[in-house]
Amino acid sequence: MMDISDLIKSISLFKPETTLIVTFMLAMILDMAFKKSKNIAGYIAIAGLVIAGIFLFQQTGVNYKAFANLLVIDSFGQFMKFIVLMSSLIIIVFSFFSNELHNAHTKLGEYYTLIIGMTFGMFLLVGSANLIMIYVAIETMSISSYVLAGYTREVKRASEASLKYVIFGAVSSGIMIYGISILFGLTGSLNLFEINQFLSVNNVATLPLLLSGLMILSGFGYKISAVPFHFWTPDVYEGAPVTITAYLSVASKAAGFAVLLRFFKTGLLDSVPGTSEAWQLLGNIDWHYVIAVLAVLTMTLGNLVAVWQTNMKRLLAYSSIAHAGYLLMAVSVMNDNGVSAVLIYFVFYMLMNLGAFFVVQLIANKLDSENIDEYNGLGYRSPVLAVCMTVFLISLAGLPPTSGFIGKLYVFSSVINSGYIWLAIIGVLNSVVSLYYYAKIIRNMYLRDVESAKTKLVFSPVTIAIVLMLAIPSLLFGVYFTPIVEWANYSMNIFVGN
Amino acid sequence: MTQDVVLPLSILTLLIPLLSFLINIFFGKKLGKISGVIGTSILGIDLGLAIIVAFTKLTSYAGIQVIQNRIEWFDLGSLQVNIGIGIDNIAAIMLIVVTLISFLVHLFSTVYMGDDRQYSKFFAYLGLFTFSMLGIVIANNFLIMYIFWELVGISSYLLIGFWYEKDSASNAGKKAFITNRIGDLGFFIGIMILFFTYGSFMFEDVFAGISSGVMPFDNPTMLTIAGICIFMGAIGKSAQFPLHVWLPDAMEGPTPVSALIHAATMVAAGVYLVAKVFAMFTADALTFIAVIGTITAFISATIALTQVDFKKVLAYSTVSQLGFMIMSLGVGGYTNGFFHLVTHAWFKAALFLAAGSVIHAMHQAMHHMHDHHTDPQDINNMGGLRKTMPWTYRTFLFVTLALSGIPLTSGFLSKDGILAGTLAYANLTGGWHWIIPVLGFTAAGMTAFYMFRLTIVAFHGEPKTEIAKHTKENKLPIVLPLVVLAFMSLWIFYSPNPIDASKGWFHKMIVQPKSAVPDAYQWSFLINNKTEEAAPAVHQAEGATHTAEITAENPHEVTKAGHTTGHYLNKFQEETHHFHYIAMILSLLIAGSGILLAFLIYQYKTISADKLEARFKFLHTFSYNKWYFDELYQATAINGLLVISKALSWFDNYVVDGLVNLSSYVTRGFGYIVGLFDNYVIDGAVNLVANFTGYCGNKMRKLQTGHIQSYVVFVLLGILILLYFFI
Repeated sequence: MMDISDLIKSISLFKPETTLIVTFMLAMILDMAFKKSKNIAGYIAIAGLVIAGIFLFQQTGVNYKAFANLLVIDSFGQFMKFIVLMSSLIIIVFSFFSNELHNAHTKLGEYYTLIIGMTFGMFLLVGSANLIMIYVAIETMSISSYVLAGYTREVKRASEASLKYVIFGAVSSGIMIYGISILFGLTGSLNLFEINQFLSVNNVATLPLLLSGLMILSGFGYKISAVPFHFWTPDVYEGAPVTITAYLSVASKAAGFAVLLRFFKTGLLDSVPGTSEAWQLLGNIDWHYVIAVLAVLTMTLGNLVAVWQTNMKRLLAYSSIAHAGYLLMAVSVMNDNGVSAVLIYFVFYMLMNLGAFFVVQLIANKLDSENIDEYNGLGYRSPVLAVCMTVFLISLAGLPPTSGFIGKLYVFSSVINSGYIWLAIIGVLNSVVSLYYYAKIIRNMYLRDVESAKTKLVFSPVTIAIVLMLAIPSLLFGVYFTPIVEWANYSMNIFVGN
Repeated sequence: MTQDVVLPLSILTLLIPLLSFLINIFFGKKLGKISGVIGTSILGIDLGLAIIVAFTKLTSYAGIQVIQNRIEWFDLGSLQVNIGIGIDNIAAIMLIVVTLISFLVHLFSTVYMGDDRQYSKFFAYLGLFTFSMLGIVIANNFLIMYIFWELVGISSYLLIGFWYEKDSASNAGKKAFITNRIGDLGFFIGIMILFFTYGSFMFEDVFAGISSGVMPFDNPTMLTIAGICIFMGAIGKSAQFPLHVWLPDAMEGPTPVSALIHAATMVAAGVYLVAKVFAMFTADALTFIAVIGTITAFISATIALTQVDFKKVLAYSTVSQLGFMIMSLGVGGYTNGFFHLVTHAWFKAALFLAAGSVIHAMHQAMHHMHDHHTDPQDINNMGGLRKTMPWTYRTFLFVTLALSGIPLTSGFLSKDGILAGTLAYANLTGGWHWIIPVLGFTAAGMTAFYMFRLTIVAFHGEPKTEIAKHTKENKLPIVLPLVVLAFMSLWIFYSPNPIDASKGWFHKMIVQPKSAVPDAYQWSFLINNKTEEAAPAVHQAEGATHTAEITAENPHEVTKAGHTTGHYLNKFQEETHHFHYIAMILSLLIAGSGILLAFLIYQYKTISADKLEARFKFLHTFSYNKWYFDELYQATAINGLLVISKALSWFDNYVVDGLVNLSSYVTRGFGYIVGLFDNYVIDGAVNLVANFTGYCGNKMRKLQTGHIQSYVVFVLLGILILLYFFI
């Protein structure tokens, strides 16, 4: 039960989330108050995120089970929350320059408000240690994202995407809560710590535990778009505004991976043998292989289908599915090194993926198209943008000297160190396939239609500066990445009590 | 100034030339002629910084071996890579050498390259080159050194092939680049052997590992091989036999480039490398180095005797002098080898810039007379330039004296030291090692001969062509660097005593580092005397035992070695000192007779050059054709490679490409099937589901997209399959 001192401490540790709630309300009210100012909610959102970031930073080193074990505050959660927060911040900045959003609406107040709402949901999800809490958090972020995906409602494909998203999300939630109820029936608790204790003392039947686990996994899998829970991804990514597509591909995935890792380590870890090497999991189920199979399916399908795409958003959607596959590889090794690899990968993935989407957005602003052929000759029409895009794509393909290479290096080395050589080989083969479609874009930019005297594309210096701010770290972290690695190693221990 | 400031300042010194590169490469076209001024003034600032760094190190902290830092670059758990920069005494001196010559070359080029349409690009490349070269100088680990080593390679490629419209220039650039790669391959293998064994790229870690007795692959021979591999990098960069062929061709580059790169800095990098890692060479590796240096010094001196191209003579002379430096390091004459590097840098840069001055004047005269066929670099078209270009002549003559090793010049001090060292070495080791001093002295004599041949033919006598008659002395930016460099070649900069440098500041600052190699694998005479270090008596006894083992052939040496006093650093230094006057007299005699011969043949024509040539027809042709090295390489290495590459390309075309195509077909096919799966099976399932639910009525069907339901079916199906799979 909750005593008053726990409550006070919990509330004080809940400051980042509280800030987001306040920001949410302030943005809504002020947006209505200042009818003429178009982006006021956006500025408030940025301010709110910065303040939340400061509060988040103050939690460095804290390990605490808040609100009677409902939420966990730990350095792992802090890391993931920073990823979410940074993505939100970057997406809001991107949105200032989005033509499709500004064409569809005269005011974007509720758009920014919803992003804050979604950030709040993701913060909750990252810290949740209770199945109902997890469910509620997923719903909080999902409902915001449904609306955001269909935000340009005059555009037909956006509305369609939003509707599909809602239905698919509803089904996934349904399956997930069904799984939660089975697990509750088995263990008599919704709290991950209590479930862990129950499982370590009692023997439970394998089938219901596996079934419930898989059903809960479908809820997480839907957030990280792992095969076979990915079907919504291409349609929604293509239909939604680019900014939201980019947001879903990074922040949403980060929150999904955070809860996936926490679910396994908090709920199923057998704390008896110690946590030094591979985690011993409770119940006679080989979760390593379940996740490994999902990883193989996810990256293989993502990469192979991406080869055939001609729409940039759809291509990046499949590419993001493939990246979820690489990350799942690191999850499947089920040890702290794997967690560290996931964290490292996310930092770099955020930079390069958001960067690539921003370039797509800028091109779409000018040419009103996301077709891959529109990129022909871009290297001559807008050299700086094309160079940056090349950096992002090379980084996504995982070639040195970019940060994407370092991310992959850590993922693969965690897999190989755990002895899953076959998994690493499949991963490398997949990277090779991915090079094909990334390089195709680079080829279009530099080798296609070079002679045709297309006009130069001129972008405002601010947007170029933003692209550079993402491209330069993508390169720099490929050469000097020790700080990120150290931060990830510091944050890789998920707090499991004691 | 405190010690902490040295490193930040040296990083600044490193980065400033890069700034010049960036400005000139990006804004060069807009800047036009100003780019030269910018480049020169940036280098001027850089020179100032380098002087501050060097003086701080050499005055306040001369006693500290090296001021350095160590930064962890990355850590992969088992693999930890540290990098850093360090300033020791030789680095401090090199900083000044590189920046001062680079500055003077910049200044010189503002006039020399004045009419070139790629004016700003030239200064950009000079900046890039200076940056790369400084990187080599301040590296304190193999990794950074290798990175900048390659950067030097690329920037010299750009500069040699600067006039890329000329086939010969672009070919020379390629030749230099490829020949250097061969050496760099060895360098790389050497670095990898050391990294694999000692787990670090840092010089100090490697040396510490070696002196703790750890050997690569537990085999002392491998340490020798690692040393030779590292030295291969120097063979390439410092144009040592058998990779010396690129340097003469590199004269296709603009002449200021030859002065900067092929006289003073880039080619010195190899010598610098050997000096920097001197502590890791075993006795066998040092012997190898000495032999390579000697062969180089001798062969290229013989080639220089007969060349008619002004710059080619200087080029072969450079190769020969680099051979001297390498030879000196190989025999253990660490200080004199590096000393010769520094003195040679000044006077050879001066010689090249003087050559540039002459060629520029010849060009101007040709332009004036509308003559575009005469070769402005052929010394047989010159003559009499003494009168038309007095300042060029005076400086040229003075630095020629320096190169020939005549007293009152710096070249005399360093060359004399080297030759004394070779005598000491031969005396201490005996046997066939006596060939080294013999060839060394011969090469020194030839040096004096070919340099005076060049001077007499080009500057003395009557003008041989109309063009030579119409040459004029150049403007100040060309003449000033010559004077400065000639001035720097005076003895007084290194030692107050014009015939002995060993008491000068240079020899006090540059002391042979203590060898890291265990005593059993090192020459006993290079092991520093223990008495100085106040080592325990046990150690001394050990050292004496090893000495006894190695020099057992010369019993009287043992007693001497055992009794050396603390006056000299080691036995070698003492012996060198003993041979000092013998070497001096010998070298003066030989150089003097070389000069005399040159005057007799070319000035007074007492001996007919033509008759001599006819008499030694074979030798002359052999020398004139550079010992047929290019032809030899063409016949063996290049043609051999072409055959192999043809075979490989066949293999590539038919076997590898076949496999690649096959795998790409398979991948594409698979992707296509997955695509079909998406298109037909999913869409098909959509239709199926739609038909199935279609019974519910048309209106509902219109509201549906159809897809989403199939998606849901697949999710459920997926869970069921997974459940079935893992149960």
